[in-house]
Amino acid sequence: MIGKKIATASLTALLLTGTLPFTACNKQLDVNSTRQSDEANSWKTIDDARSGLMGIYGLFRAAVADNNAHWLYGELRDGDFTALKRPDLKAIIEGKLNASYPIIESISNWRRFYAAINACNLFIERSADAMVDTRYTEVNHKVDVAQARVLRAFLYYYIVRIWGDVPLLTQSYDNGKFQQFARSPQQDVLGFAVREVEDAAPLLPYVYGGGDPVLPGQVYHTKTYTEWKNTLINKVSAYAILAHITALQGNYYATAGYTDFVMQQYSRISINYLSVADLTGKTGIFNEQAADLATDQNQFISFNFVKGLGEATVSGHIEQLTLAYPLVSKQQPDIYITNDSLASMFPTGNGQDQRFGVDTSSVDQGTPTLYRNAYITGYGEEIPIFSKIKSINGGIAGEQQFNVFTSAILFTRLEEIALLRAEALTVLGHESDAITLLNNIRSRRNVNAFDPAAPGADLLKEIFEERRRELVGEGWRWYDLVRYHKIKKEDPAFNALISTGGIYWPVAREVLNSNTQIVQNPYWK
Amino acid sequence: MRLQSLMPAKSIAFCVLLVLQGRHSAFAIDGYQAPPQSAAPAKDTIPADTAITDAPKQVEALSAFRKDGKANIRALGFTPFITGQQYVKGQLAGVYVQEPSGEPGTEQNMFVRGIAMPLLSKRELFDNQAAVYLNGVPLAMDNPFAYEIQQYDFNRIGPATNLLSTLNIDNIESIEVIKDPARLVQLGPVAANGVIWITTKAASSGYRKISINGYFGFAPQQQVTPINAVYENKFRLPFYDKFGTLNDRFNYPAYLKDSSNADYYGPSNWTDLYYKNKPLYNIDLSLTGGSDRANFRFFGAATRDANTADETALQRYNASFSINVLPLSWVTVSSLINATHMMRNRNRNFVDRLAEVRYLPDVSNPLPPNKNVYQSYLGEFDENVKDDNTTTSVQGYFNILAQMKGFRYNGGISFDYNEGTRDVFYPTQLLEGNNFVSNYFGFNQRFVFNNALGYTWQVNADNKLDFEAGQNYQTTLNKFNYAYGYNGPNNFIKLNIVEGDPNQATYLQSTGFDVFYHPSNQRVSVASFFGKADWNYKGLLDLLAIVRRDGTSVMQPDNRWYTGFGASASWNLHKTFLQSSSLLSALDLTASFGRNGKLLSDDRFAGGPNYRSDLSWSGAPTIGSYAGLPGLSRPYNSGWVGYGIPWAYVQTASVGIDAGLLQDQLHIGLDVYQRSDKDMMLPVPVPAESGYKSAYASGMEVANTGVDLTVQGTVLKATGHKPGLSLFGNVNYNENKLKALPNGLQRVVINDHLLQVGERIDAFWVYKNEGIYATNAEVPVNPANSRPMSFQGAPMQAGDARWKDMNGDYTINEDDKVLLGNSLPKITGGFGGQFNYRALTLDFHFYFALGHKLLNKYAAQRLDFINTDATASIDGVKEISWWEKKMDLTTYPMYNPWSNTIPYRLDQDLFLDKASFVKLRSVTLSYNLITGWKGTGKSQVFKQATVYLTGANLFTITPFKGDDPELVQYNGIYTGAGLPIQRSFILGFKVDL
Repeated sequence: MIGKKIATASLTALLLTGTLPFTACNKQLDVNSTRQSDEANSWKTIDDARSGLMGIYGLFRAAVADNNAHWLYGELRDGDFTALKRPDLKAIIEGKLNASYPIIESISNWRRFYAAINACNLFIERSADAMVDTRYTEVNHKVDVAQARVLRAFLYYYIVRIWGDVPLLTQSYDNGKFQQFARSPQQDVLGFAVREVEDAAPLLPYVYGGGDPVLPGQVYHTKTYTEWKNTLINKVSAYAILAHITALQGNYYATAGYTDFVMQQYSRISINYLSVADLTGKTGIFNEQAADLATDQNQFISFNFVKGLGEATVSGHIEQLTLAYPLVSKQQPDIYITNDSLASMFPTGNGQDQRFGVDTSSVDQGTPTLYRNAYITGYGEEIPIFSKIKSINGGIAGEQQFNVFTSAILFTRLEEIALLRAEALTVLGHESDAITLLNNIRSRRNVNAFDPAAPGADLLKEIFEERRRELVGEGWRWYDLVRYHKIKKEDPAFNALISTGGIYWPVAREVLNSNTQIVQNPYWK
Repeated sequence: MRLQSLMPAKSIAFCVLLVLQGRHSAFAIDGYQAPPQSAAPAKDTIPADTAITDAPKQVEALSAFRKDGKANIRALGFTPFITGQQYVKGQLAGVYVQEPSGEPGTEQNMFVRGIAMPLLSKRELFDNQAAVYLNGVPLAMDNPFAYEIQQYDFNRIGPATNLLSTLNIDNIESIEVIKDPARLVQLGPVAANGVIWITTKAASSGYRKISINGYFGFAPQQQVTPINAVYENKFRLPFYDKFGTLNDRFNYPAYLKDSSNADYYGPSNWTDLYYKNKPLYNIDLSLTGGSDRANFRFFGAATRDANTADETALQRYNASFSINVLPLSWVTVSSLINATHMMRNRNRNFVDRLAEVRYLPDVSNPLPPNKNVYQSYLGEFDENVKDDNTTTSVQGYFNILAQMKGFRYNGGISFDYNEGTRDVFYPTQLLEGNNFVSNYFGFNQRFVFNNALGYTWQVNADNKLDFEAGQNYQTTLNKFNYAYGYNGPNNFIKLNIVEGDPNQATYLQSTGFDVFYHPSNQRVSVASFFGKADWNYKGLLDLLAIVRRDGTSVMQPDNRWYTGFGASASWNLHKTFLQSSSLLSALDLTASFGRNGKLLSDDRFAGGPNYRSDLSWSGAPTIGSYAGLPGLSRPYNSGWVGYGIPWAYVQTASVGIDAGLLQDQLHIGLDVYQRSDKDMMLPVPVPAESGYKSAYASGMEVANTGVDLTVQGTVLKATGHKPGLSLFGNVNYNENKLKALPNGLQRVVINDHLLQVGERIDAFWVYKNEGIYATNAEVPVNPANSRPMSFQGAPMQAGDARWKDMNGDYTINEDDKVLLGNSLPKITGGFGGQFNYRALTLDFHFYFALGHKLLNKYAAQRLDFINTDATASIDGVKEISWWEKKMDLTTYPMYNPWSNTIPYRLDQDLFLDKASFVKLRSVTLSYNLITGWKGTGKSQVFKQATVYLTGANLFTITPFKGDDPELVQYNGIYTGAGLPIQRSFILGFKVDL
């Protein structure tokens, strides 16, 4: 019965193998998810700290990119753009911020900003743990935390501009308890932001990976100077933020001081004034860390989308709203600047404004034939296309098929700070210095110098008009209008808007539903 | 010596139990939905020779293990249905099947006794599905974690082929449902949502037996009402006349502006190319045979299912091989390998394509309804488009049963592996001069190891005890690699080519396409131990108790294990008291209770608070880095996970009565159940200032209460020349109710859903529409502040919808929305019968779903054309079928479509339509050649020979005005995008040699 023996033996073997998992099963149940990092494995290495810091930047970018919110908040309301068909954008332009469109509801929600704020708080509290990894040095950690603090202040400034009073959270409360916080007066929030940046800015380097006194060494978080440029918050950009926060506070004295620092130090981070070609070129300042510009850096503060790093996207760019055929394959833009608005923005002084100018002497059958149109494609047509910013798929020449965009969400650049300084100086009564700053910008754009002696000359108005021309499409228009009218107080309707809180956005119902302490902005009740 | 076909251990355990029960005929109430054996079907088969009928008896005893209802396999064998869900549709009381599209091989949903949690997304849809066991192997399905990298969740990435399309009905012995709580506890947490138990035809000994089945048929061209721009223009103009401004007219859509454009204003004959007569077929062969100590079965099949619409089809090949061997007299070894290969022709919809591409081109002008233009679009698909979808699945097991002197051991290894690949290329012509390539490879792999020891103790003649203890370990790996690229060099290069020179800085970087790569995987393990005892008293009373302990890798270490338990009792009242009754021929009373753990389908909870890549936003769902460096953060978008998450569990109690009347001519089964799913997790919204969208919290409880009723009766008994008629029906009534929310909350708003304690979980949350404000004067004014009624602050005007101000605050907002209706039917079921006269048999089957509603997004989008056209989202995409009139829209009030209040918004009861329906599922006329041919009833060659003609999905009775109330998404939204559930006619034969 050999056959039977073999069969018995093999069966016994099988039964034994069958019971193997029996003993090993508890160990088998320890399976880590491959799609996340658990608490137990976090804040252990320099990589954790770096990922955390990049997480903050990424969340900030997501907050301002979601639904192209940066422009929906800042550019549209009462601005120079007209919505062609989209009723939701039209409602924003008309200031009907309680219209019930999904996008309006979505961007009325400040959660994404608070996600970035929470990430800052958490980083400030926890990143020191990662110093158990000796590669994560004290110096490195200090710089990282300083960035997180400035970013947090910047976030608060950004949302105060939109909603006015907002809850001020300076801790992460990372315990799953989810307390409710009420809105703090905006002056408290801005005051906190100012103190934070004042504290943190000195700790920041001018450049990353470039052998800065604060941050020696040629590599910072695995990258070199050329790779980091125009990406992180540096000392000068921190003071630029500070200048803006104080301007929002109405503390123009401080603004003048901080802008002075920026104007003195910008060359240390290799920033310079831009030509119109650099401003509007496909591979100009907006495209991919301004990598193709002659000067090393040109963006004070920006969120970049670099194609080679897999971050080119369709949404999160003004191009998604403004570009159309023949620049991209889309037939018609969502928003555009009408010919009438162009005419009012760029008065025909000498018609030589390099950004956009019309020579009124060369008219053929009612249409000017000579014009400069760096900002516009298809001038004279029914729907001119606003093409100041047009970084299509990495700025590849001739690219029009693949409509992903690589333009940065640029918060500020030298021209903007110069005009802000001119604004501050004007308010403080230093008009001649302000005129110098203004005329510097104007001459670079080939616009006639401002003449204070001319009848009806209004320096402040001219500064804001110059901002309107220079910064159109960069998400400034609405905030500029608010600051202008706060200074001027000439427009009763706008004064009423300011006093009733109508300059702010309503708070989304979702926010109100999940926190009973939050009250709606009175204007939108 | 008899052979026993083996299933994995647990099933064996039940089987043994039921063998015991089966000895008392009254307990073995198997298959009472199928026509009684005394009725016609017996005539289809001739008396087989004894050698064959003897051998499989044990096998039958196994499959006769009492379930809670059995599908009518015999009649299904005559139908052209191809998926597991289609087989059980309308067949089993308490099993509800959703078929959101008739496209062959697309995903379908199956719920047993209601849903345990609200269907907020595809994740919850997955978590509510019934488990499917094939010969005792729980089949591994596509895990919804792939949706995390998707912008749109219309389809899962990859082939997205319904994995239950693998089952060929001709290879299936039985399809049953298990709902009994105690028995579900025996199957463990995998079975928490109920089980569909499928058994394939078994190997058997005897002289070789060959069966050949085949059918050929077609899906006839769908008759629809095509429209062109004239219709659309006429539909829109009145709105412009009444409410439009000059500027609105200026923005009139380009394709409607020019009435001389023959493409849009010419004949609408696209339907000639879209709807076609399509062939479908099946041919299969099985071979069975063997000796006393070994036997085998082979099965092979080729099947094609096709839809009349859009050239969609599923091609399937099955091969199955099983053997049973008795190496020793007391040991049986059984093995099966079951392989399926499927290829799917998918639809050519824009939405499906753009969702895959995740890139929205300019869609302001739809494809014209003209045949010639549409032909050139289709020509691209013929020439340049590549869309290959293949799914291959293999299941198998190796099981051992050893029995000696009351002891038994059974154990084995089972596996299920299925993989899908999809290779896509869309040429430049389809995407604004930009081409697209994507490649997907994914698999689901599951191993199950079982071991169980049992002992049967015959205490005395009256009492019998049976004990069993065992262990089960199951590990499942879901994995995919997915890459997509844009903007390749031309349409000839359909591959992503990388730099091959290692000396280049761009080594291995793509040289052609802009590529994005997404690999992901997830592993889940479950370990279980169980013990079971069964006491049988004289065959009158049977008591069963089971306790089990399950641990899983997806739970946190301190809550890793859960103890489930169950008990059931059956009492044969007939045998105890009523043996002399002339009315009653059987009467059983059963009661069952069980508490079973529920598994999480996501592995993200085991580690507690976590960090993940969460840097994306709504328009860019896959961004995970900043400046090219990976960024990690708390899961702000996907929700906070804390510690101390307990196991969710389902606790069910049921009481049932089964009665046989009039010498078993009438069978009635009635079950009343109460199912409570408790301690379930829900992402609860938290203060937005925390940064989190939601936080997962446990404590949700949902109750499903209902009744299952099955009736089956022989109206006329066929004898000789007299015709026979038997009827059967099943019906389920189910109500769900939200009993509790986490953290003691009473209501929670998640996206467009309101969950309120005490209300249904599938209710629609809508404004109540009460007409129109014809003039501004009609808008009510708040006497308190003289402000007119507003919609979220924006004043109402003439042309706006009159929504009911529920709280009387003169502001219409979320607080005025009410829960109305329900997306899941309250009553589901089916009925049918069999009429036979001599060699002719007529089978018919209806199914129905009653008492539910749908939200008509199709109508809302058509009427809200201003916003639909202007939207920058995929919702604005118009398919070619946009030129099909699916319903009459003239009955809706005429609002101002430009209003900021969006009068045609979807979330109002204006678009809530009744969705009840009764459908004729199938009618079959079959003719038995053996008994019919010269009436001999005998053939030297054929053991069975039948020809038949079947019509499927012949008609629908419904109050719904759209095309088909069944083509509704899982959440109750009707978009009109589903392909029709096709009508088809087949002619087939069944032959046994």
